[in-house]
Amino acid sequence: MTGWETLLTAAIKVAVAFALLLSLTIVLVWFERKIVADMQNRLGPTRAGPYGMLQTVADGVKLLFKESVTPRRVEFALYIAAPIAALVPALLIFLVIPIGRPFTLGDRVIDLAGTDLNVAVLYVLALSSLAVYAVVLAGWSSGSKYPLLGAVRASAQMISYEAAMGLALVPVILFTGTTSIRAIVDAQAGEFLSFLGIWNIVLVPSFLIFFIAGVAETNRAPFDLVEAESEIVGGYHTEYSGFRFALFFLAEYINIFNISALTTTLFLGGWHGPTFGAPEWLAWVFPIVWFFVKTVALVFVFVWIRASLPRMRYDQLMQFGWKRLIPLTLVWIILSTVAIGFRRFGAPWG
Amino acid sequence: MVAVTAGDWFSTPENYVFLAIALPLVFAGWRVVTSSNVVHAVLYLVGALGGSAALFLLLGAEFVAWAVVLVYIGAVVVLFLFGIMITRAPIGVEVELSHPLRVRISAALVSGALFVLIAIAALTAFGSESIPEAEVTRTADIGQSIFERFVIPFEVVSVVLLAALVGGIVIARRDPSPEEIAAGKETL
Amino acid sequence: MIDYHALAPELLLAGTVLAVLTVDLLRVEKYWVAVVGLFGLFLSFIPVLTLGFCDTLTFCEDTGTRFLFGESYAVDSFSLVLKALFLGSAFVAVLLSVGYLESDRFWQGEFYFLMLSSVLGAVVMASSRDLVTIFVALELVTGPTFLMAGWRKGDPRSNEAMLKFFIIGVLSAALLLFGMSLVYGTTGELTFAGIRAEAAGIRGGDLEALFTVGVLFTLLGFAFKVSAVPFHFWTPDTYEGSPTPVTAYLSVVSKTAGFVGLLAICYLAFRDATFLWGPALWVLAAASMTVGNLAALRQTNIVRLLGYSSIAQGGFILVPFGAAVAAGVTDVQLEEAFFATVTYLLIYAFMNLGAFAVIIAGGNRLRSAEIGDWAGMFGYAPGLATMLAVFFFSLAGIPPLAGWFAKFVMFRAVLSVGGGWAAALAIIAAVNSVIAFVYYAKVVKSAFMDPAPEHVAVADLARMPTVPSLQFALVLTVAGVIVLGIFPGIIAEIGELTKTFASGF
Repeated sequence: MTGWETLLTAAIKVAVAFALLLSLTIVLVWFERKIVADMQNRLGPTRAGPYGMLQTVADGVKLLFKESVTPRRVEFALYIAAPIAALVPALLIFLVIPIGRPFTLGDRVIDLAGTDLNVAVLYVLALSSLAVYAVVLAGWSSGSKYPLLGAVRASAQMISYEAAMGLALVPVILFTGTTSIRAIVDAQAGEFLSFLGIWNIVLVPSFLIFFIAGVAETNRAPFDLVEAESEIVGGYHTEYSGFRFALFFLAEYINIFNISALTTTLFLGGWHGPTFGAPEWLAWVFPIVWFFVKTVALVFVFVWIRASLPRMRYDQLMQFGWKRLIPLTLVWIILSTVAIGFRRFGAPWG
Repeated sequence: MVAVTAGDWFSTPENYVFLAIALPLVFAGWRVVTSSNVVHAVLYLVGALGGSAALFLLLGAEFVAWAVVLVYIGAVVVLFLFGIMITRAPIGVEVELSHPLRVRISAALVSGALFVLIAIAALTAFGSESIPEAEVTRTADIGQSIFERFVIPFEVVSVVLLAALVGGIVIARRDPSPEEIAAGKETL
Repeated sequence: MIDYHALAPELLLAGTVLAVLTVDLLRVEKYWVAVVGLFGLFLSFIPVLTLGFCDTLTFCEDTGTRFLFGESYAVDSFSLVLKALFLGSAFVAVLLSVGYLESDRFWQGEFYFLMLSSVLGAVVMASSRDLVTIFVALELVTGPTFLMAGWRKGDPRSNEAMLKFFIIGVLSAALLLFGMSLVYGTTGELTFAGIRAEAAGIRGGDLEALFTVGVLFTLLGFAFKVSAVPFHFWTPDTYEGSPTPVTAYLSVVSKTAGFVGLLAICYLAFRDATFLWGPALWVLAAASMTVGNLAALRQTNIVRLLGYSSIAQGGFILVPFGAAVAAGVTDVQLEEAFFATVTYLLIYAFMNLGAFAVIIAGGNRLRSAEIGDWAGMFGYAPGLATMLAVFFFSLAGIPPLAGWFAKFVMFRAVLSVGGGWAAALAIIAAVNSVIAFVYYAKVVKSAFMDPAPEHVAVADLARMPTVPSLQFALVLTVAGVIVLGIFPGIIAEIGELTKTFASGF
């Protein structure tokens, strides 16, 4: 491909990814509200559009036109920067996730992912570690006590669970022998029982730890002390309203989607799945469908957890993170390293 | 390495990218030490570290670049901010941090002289050379060299970190009171 | 394959470090942690011996220098001698700590853990033959000591000691690393052998200026570590504020590690750049001796006095380096200088640790480090006072105590080089030896001749026993100082071994 073509495909990919994430957020919020309502024997949104599907759109429009109140004691530059700092890493992470099989257009092969990096796993972890800045900046620049408390809680929580999250990926990298996400997906191809790939979910503890840490990273229930309404009002975004609040909200849902998509990609075989012998011109649709089916299933788990588990106490949160999750991860790394060593090199005595 | 003349400099697009990274980086570095607000200083540090990560990317060192983001920006500096917020340290403008003019002038002179010295030395050394086209380093190669050639420093670093962890906790934690020790609840 | 025999001291010591941490978790008397640590130090000393006497042992096949990891890690006679020195000094330092830590409320298990980690760094450092390894090892030596310096958590002076030490330590590490990065940048090599080979081509070229800056920054970094004047200002405060066993450790193991780094860098990597480091270290040596000794004259606190004394002793150790200032210094003369430095380090370890052992024992009784309070010690603690005299006279270089031999080889090295600058350095060293004698003798005289001050309860003190661990340490060091003083041939023999290192490249 020539330089311009590369640039053009990149621009299209970014635009598509952006549009996709925005529209997905709208759907996800509706999805969550409906599921939670169902689980709590309520109806949830019903008025705007069929089954209340346009409720989120209406909410979004309302937020856009609402006044953005700026409290007097804020540090304005940082106060404005915080929501942007929340959104940007969330958008960037999505760029390395392949949502479908590469397809050919003429003589060109186009990946259904923004890009692929040699060190994509590291990239994902690095960017998700930046998310904490949004929280800290929002809390600090608001010049008010609840946001500050929320920010302190959030940063402690995110740092703690990030460690577990990163460590949980070590066995995956060892197992597949690569840090490139495309290669990790490719490694999960192949047939097992004629339709299942040999997915990385065989590393069950890694999968569970990664997902739990992911829930904590996105500050979702039961780890949502950051914005525990009953204790510290809205947490770090107490002082935000209107469009600025909408950005935080958007970032949160994109992050939920990202974590689900990453879990799908890293553990559930990504876009791999049976194509039922579909003809070549149709075959590329199935991977995309599979990817979204798996991801949405994980989003459902997020919502399910939220609807069923009570919020943890702060000390429980820290205890769980440092004294359970991380030691467990370390033990698991050692065990899996031994197992993978056997698999790859054979028994040392044999 | 290829010798370059001044004319080439402006025709190489990488140089503009470099400038776009380096100038903010220098500014951020300058503000880190001149900001009178601790939080601002820390945020400028983020900028400086981000700039250095970008320079690593420009050199094709992807792994190092993202490691800098993950470790320094994502963890170390966050802990700075965290430390500033949970301790009772002042989080506003700190006037006492500023030294008297006399000290500042001499510091400026020393660092200026050092800068000139190193800059001249570096320019005579590498001023006429261009950096060869960067190949992206493979993560596997880095791992290979860490666990073969550099395995001793690698293991030594792990002991350093362990020692820092243990010692840091001892220094930071509250000592048990004599009563608690006598009651056998805590030991030293 | 990795030569595990060559790495055995490090591996055993690393195992000990972890064992100490584990024993600390058990509900046993913290005293046992120290015992485990001592045992581990002893255990890791054994492979040092088997490696050293490899040619006389049947099971040991490889003899001569062993290089590991592509010339970046070497086990040769020099590194073995220094490893033995580090392990031995650490053994004494742990012995010094036991009683001290028991005497007050300290976190004990972690203390031994940190001290042994630091020793591990020193042991690795002795074998390091490339920039990365030596830097990381040096960080392992100093990192834990920052924390140990602040171990008296309730004492503001200890906090001050920790903070000053930490900030200066970090600064010096940054300088060192910056210098190393320039050296690596100009030579493209990390190993000392490689740097030496490349450096020859750099002379007179475009890269020379940057290389020079790199070398000087590297030296500067080490100058902080060995607290050479004018980079010494953290030393007295840190030494005074730290717990005394930590001070002993700092002044011997940590300082020797700095010198080992300096030796390796100067004599291996920058061997052909004597014109660079010779003059620089000449100045540092002269300044350290003079400033250290003059300041020591005015001290009233005995720990502070030893702090300045160790700065001055550091100057003496630097003298053979400074001798390389003369143009056209030959390889034989460099070897002699190298031998002198190693010998001085070996003897210095014994006498300085001994001096600190006496100070800890005295401090336990008197609860004071003021020299005035030490007056008349001979009256109630004759043994301790005698040992004080032994170590202080040894530090001053009085025969037949070991210190004289250290000074003797130091002078011999610098005089063998000849030339105006070397002679000037010898004269400065001689004058300083005399000054040093004044303050060492003053303390001894006060302990022997002066009456005890009235607030010192002489009768009580006479009955106070010295802790057994401290007695053991005192016996070891006194024996060392006297035996080595009377039979300096032993140390000459050991030092001679290290010459092969200096000539080997």
